[in-house]
Amino acid sequence: MRLYEYEAKEIFESAKIPVPPRKVARSAEEAKAAAEEIGFPVVVKAQVLVGGRGKAGGVGFADSVEEIEEIASKLLGMKIKDAPVDSVLVEKKVDVDKEVYIGVTIDRFEFKPIVIVSSEGGVDIEEVAEKQPEKIHKLHVEVNEKLKSYQGRLLASSAGLKGKMISKVGGLLQRLYGVFKKYDAKIAEINPLIVSGESIYAADAKLILDDDSLFRHPELEEKGISMRHDVSELTEREKLAQAEGIPYLDLDGNIGMFPGGAGFGIASIDLVKQLGGEPANFMDSGGGPTPERIAKMLDLLVDNPNVVTIFGARFGGISRCDDFAKGVMIFLEAKGTKKPIIMRMTGNKWKEGMEILENAKNEKPELFEKIEVFGIDTPIEEVAKRAVEVAKEETGG
Amino acid sequence: MAIIVDDKSKVMVQGITGGAGKFHTKNMIEYGTNIVGGVTPGKGGQEVEGVPVYDTVRACVMGENPDVSVVFVPARFAADAVMECLDEGLKRIILVPERIPIHDMLEVRHKARKMEATVVGGNSPGVVSPGKANVGIMPPIAFSEGRVGTVARSGAITYYLADTLTHSGYGETTCVGLGGDPILGSNFEDILKLYDNDPETEAMVMAGEIGGLYEEIASQHMSEIKKPVIAFIAGLYAPPGKRMGHAGAIVEKGMGTAESKVKALSDAGVPIAKKFSDIPKLLEERIGKA
Repeated sequence: MRLYEYEAKEIFESAKIPVPPRKVARSAEEAKAAAEEIGFPVVVKAQVLVGGRGKAGGVGFADSVEEIEEIASKLLGMKIKDAPVDSVLVEKKVDVDKEVYIGVTIDRFEFKPIVIVSSEGGVDIEEVAEKQPEKIHKLHVEVNEKLKSYQGRLLASSAGLKGKMISKVGGLLQRLYGVFKKYDAKIAEINPLIVSGESIYAADAKLILDDDSLFRHPELEEKGISMRHDVSELTEREKLAQAEGIPYLDLDGNIGMFPGGAGFGIASIDLVKQLGGEPANFMDSGGGPTPERIAKMLDLLVDNPNVVTIFGARFGGISRCDDFAKGVMIFLEAKGTKKPIIMRMTGNKWKEGMEILENAKNEKPELFEKIEVFGIDTPIEEVAKRAVEVAKEETGG
Repeated sequence: MAIIVDDKSKVMVQGITGGAGKFHTKNMIEYGTNIVGGVTPGKGGQEVEGVPVYDTVRACVMGENPDVSVVFVPARFAADAVMECLDEGLKRIILVPERIPIHDMLEVRHKARKMEATVVGGNSPGVVSPGKANVGIMPPIAFSEGRVGTVARSGAITYYLADTLTHSGYGETTCVGLGGDPILGSNFEDILKLYDNDPETEAMVMAGEIGGLYEEIASQHMSEIKKPVIAFIAGLYAPPGKRMGHAGAIVEKGMGTAESKVKALSDAGVPIAKKFSDIPKLLEERIGKA
């Protein structure tokens, strides 16, 4: 979960990382009041959860009441990478003697936390890493160890800091590392860290937390930070799916994908594409869904006007094919569909699943007009081929 | 032979009294897996499917002397469960729970490596050595005894690999579900090296997917592997920048994409199977007909 800059700054400040005086505003009037309280000049920053804010024009400066109103209105009306700006952070503009970059993340090659510093603060750090790699300095921290004082000083010195600033920034790095560990972060970053006379300030703040660790951070709610997903804009169907807790993404095609499991969900998209079909979605239906949930997933696919055929595959592992078949029946009896469903079942309880569907078909053949069910003897690629073929027939080609 | 688990393995189930623990203990026993004991704190003295339950791993080790543990406890307790095993000297641990906190897993990896233990997962469907032992949650129907070892990030892909190998007649020595979580206990090359030392395994199929760097890391270790390796990568047609299911499957700039993985592995001399049906063809070129 990525935190807003103003949320990250609250956390940084509580960890004794100095942050300039600031206030969040949700209207031009609020921004004006905030600036008057803080005192001009101020910097005004759009609060969004996507990167590249500066380049997109999401940051402005104001020296007067007129300027703050104009800039705040402009920012509050804009979208950055499709994300509407609902709030701005009005912050005291501090004099800059030097700007450095500091960040902590996990090195996914070494499986250790890594602290990164650069003398080139305030700019796109990935660009620096690419064009001037010699200006990037890294240090791994052993799992279960803290960032030590000398390591902080070493890094600060590498970032070009001198005199008293070496210990000062070194200490700040230790505190940033503490935040990274304490909050189960994936990234804790300050870019730029501003040196202003004898003082240092975190002028920006980026904190991305591990979604899977949020359960042990009730203190976030106490700080007014609400739990959310890291997605800027969802389609209507993605919102519906999210509300049901179903991992789902819209794609451009016409074959509704009902594959079971995230990994095979991705692989089944490749499979259909390679066979000349166009998937309408990604879905992860793994992890032992109940029949009711399976019916909901089918609802979601059938309701998508782009979908002309559904390709379903169930390899019962932790999930059971009889539950899958029951889910299909709940769906068919409640709603039914004229859209073909081409599916395969194998694995855990696949025979029982086949039996449920065959019995139902004998009783109510009208529900099964366009439904084809394959078992273990038909390879998955044949079933996918059939789905692609049927989708082409449905679209008249 | 086989790797990680075989017919001699004495398996302990952590979280045996929970819903998933009970259900899969029954399935594992039905397969013929030697489940010797279970652990659930506070439930010591009970039995599940005739298997004695202990309060602590230490008590289970004293009573039953297990050498493999399979973990079914909730994700938030998973790291603790592994640490408990490691401290009691177990060297093979399979982690089924998904979405284990990443900082926990960094600690688990660190400790496991120090103690020279193999931790598989989180979000692993388990490890199956066909005809010998099935430890985890995988349906036995897919598997048959044979010559090829598999290791895959995803559970369903593990099933389809086995399905493909079984139908083409190669069969499997062992199938390892590496796990879908972002920080895993083992890397591909760790498992490939185990296969390399297993006399029964003639070749290996590794199946990766978009997100994470495990395939890129594996590509750097291919010179250390002597037996033929074939790779399958899921996500060739995944739209960039979208998060697909697994916590790890986020496509990031440059690395982590299917393209980057295919390139890294191809450059290391590993042939890529574009679909499951390519796998038997590639195997035939390397280890002969099934």
